[in-house]
Amino acid sequence: MTADEKVKVDVIVVGGGPAGLSAAYTMAKAGLEVILIERGETCGSKNVGGLLYGTILNQMIPRFYEKAPIERPVSKRTIVFLGGAEHAALTFGDDQWSIPPYNNTFIVQRSQFDRWFSGEAEKAGVSLLEGTVADELIYEGVNGERKAVGVRIRGNEEFYADAVILADGANALLTEKTSKEMNLKGGKTKQDYAVGVKEIITLGKGKIEDRFNLESNEGTAVDFLGSPFEGLIGGGFIYTAKETVSIGFAARLESVIHSGLSPNQIMDGFKRHPVVRKYLEGGELAEYSAHLIPEGGYRAVPQLAANGVMIAGDAAGLVNMSLYKEGTNHAMESGKTAGETAASAKAKGDFSSKTLGEYEAKFRRGTAMRDLKKYRDLPKVLETTPELLSLYPLKMTRMLTDYFTVTAASKSETQKKALMNFLKGLPKFKFVRNMIRGRKVL
Amino acid sequence: MGSEIFNLTLADKLYRTKYETNTDHTHIKVNDEICPKCDGKPCTFGCPAEVYKKNPNDPNRITVSFENCLECGTCIKICPLGSIDWKFPDGGMGVKYRFG
Repeated sequence: MTADEKVKVDVIVVGGGPAGLSAAYTMAKAGLEVILIERGETCGSKNVGGLLYGTILNQMIPRFYEKAPIERPVSKRTIVFLGGAEHAALTFGDDQWSIPPYNNTFIVQRSQFDRWFSGEAEKAGVSLLEGTVADELIYEGVNGERKAVGVRIRGNEEFYADAVILADGANALLTEKTSKEMNLKGGKTKQDYAVGVKEIITLGKGKIEDRFNLESNEGTAVDFLGSPFEGLIGGGFIYTAKETVSIGFAARLESVIHSGLSPNQIMDGFKRHPVVRKYLEGGELAEYSAHLIPEGGYRAVPQLAANGVMIAGDAAGLVNMSLYKEGTNHAMESGKTAGETAASAKAKGDFSSKTLGEYEAKFRRGTAMRDLKKYRDLPKVLETTPELLSLYPLKMTRMLTDYFTVTAASKSETQKKALMNFLKGLPKFKFVRNMIRGRKVL
Repeated sequence: MGSEIFNLTLADKLYRTKYETNTDHTHIKVNDEICPKCDGKPCTFGCPAEVYKKNPNDPNRITVSFENCLECGTCIKICPLGSIDWKFPDGGMGVKYRFG
């Protein structure tokens, strides 16, 4: 290939999920020439998700919810504490959450949603290369001067650019390879993962709205604290789409290995729990999916920029695994910020680590990283205090059910018994310490 | 009838998920030298699609049903000896989520 035949653009984005599409969209709007490489047949076809917080997307595409394939807004939320057969739940919401801007919280089907977003990126001028695997980056220079100058795709074709944005998701083979190749700094702690398994169950609109007590323009997110298997660290959820519900369970990999259970068995255990079961009865399975979730949080976030390279989204581990379960919005913030940085790098004609480092500096000052910082101890707390997500939800539901258990005994006897049951097996000092740590989960 | 959803086998479940398989090209290779040294073989239960199974003729070795792979990457992270060589399937091949 001679120099004239080289395909060269301003920036190549690897990965057509929320991070990559946000980066590509932002750059195309700023007038940059952008190629986006996606290994799926279409953007979204390898992606799994459910809950979308839309604050960043709304900055890029104002009132996106009027045209995007939104299943339902989240007009109320429920947190369920699971015991063995006991349960306790807290439901809350606001009428405002059912009208624009819907509290910025939506239920989407990622295969369709990401595909829509890729269409918007294409309209903005992005060249989409779908069904294409990016195998490695192309480099120039040595040592400190080494820089990424393009991408080699499977089949050995090469595309060149002034910079490459890596947004290749949780299973980030290219980011990992590039980090080694360019000797990028990892985070302070190594990245940890959970494996999430999800089923799409067709119930029909009527059943969904009856069972979850919804109007046709409403939806709900139900999060479960407590685990179907003792000692297993993870959490489940149900989100209502229009005609289907998504039910999922994410468990930490170490916990899965320790349990000896398969993610599919864990999922079945969760589905068969008496509380969960009632929501799904009579449904038909439409799809089974699995995905990794980076859970290391703030401390595991690696170096995000180098000569000709920026890393965004799940590939950089930008997931908040607290009750908010926020990932797509952080991915979009990182992609948007990387895209803006690329635009100013283009204006300066300098894509070195010095200029692209502004992405990392700006992103680290932003909302996503401030949130991740707030929850920075969460991974450690979950590791050292497994009781938080298994024993305590059980204890809490038991306490409530004991308190309202009606027998011939007097109320003070019943309540005393409830309290004794609650304290049984809870070392007092450890409990106090754990409650202090527990704040970090919420 | 109503309880069918709770008693699906994994094969039943994977049947609902759409794939396009490159039958003559596996994207997963297990290192036959290293793998037999692993006692726990967490891949045989940790994979959500049960791609890895103990070989009935030699439980020290495993068989790989790559066509069931959901491409999550769990196996790469849990293999204690790094014996799984996992590449992305070719462009547009593999799992194709309709819902995701």
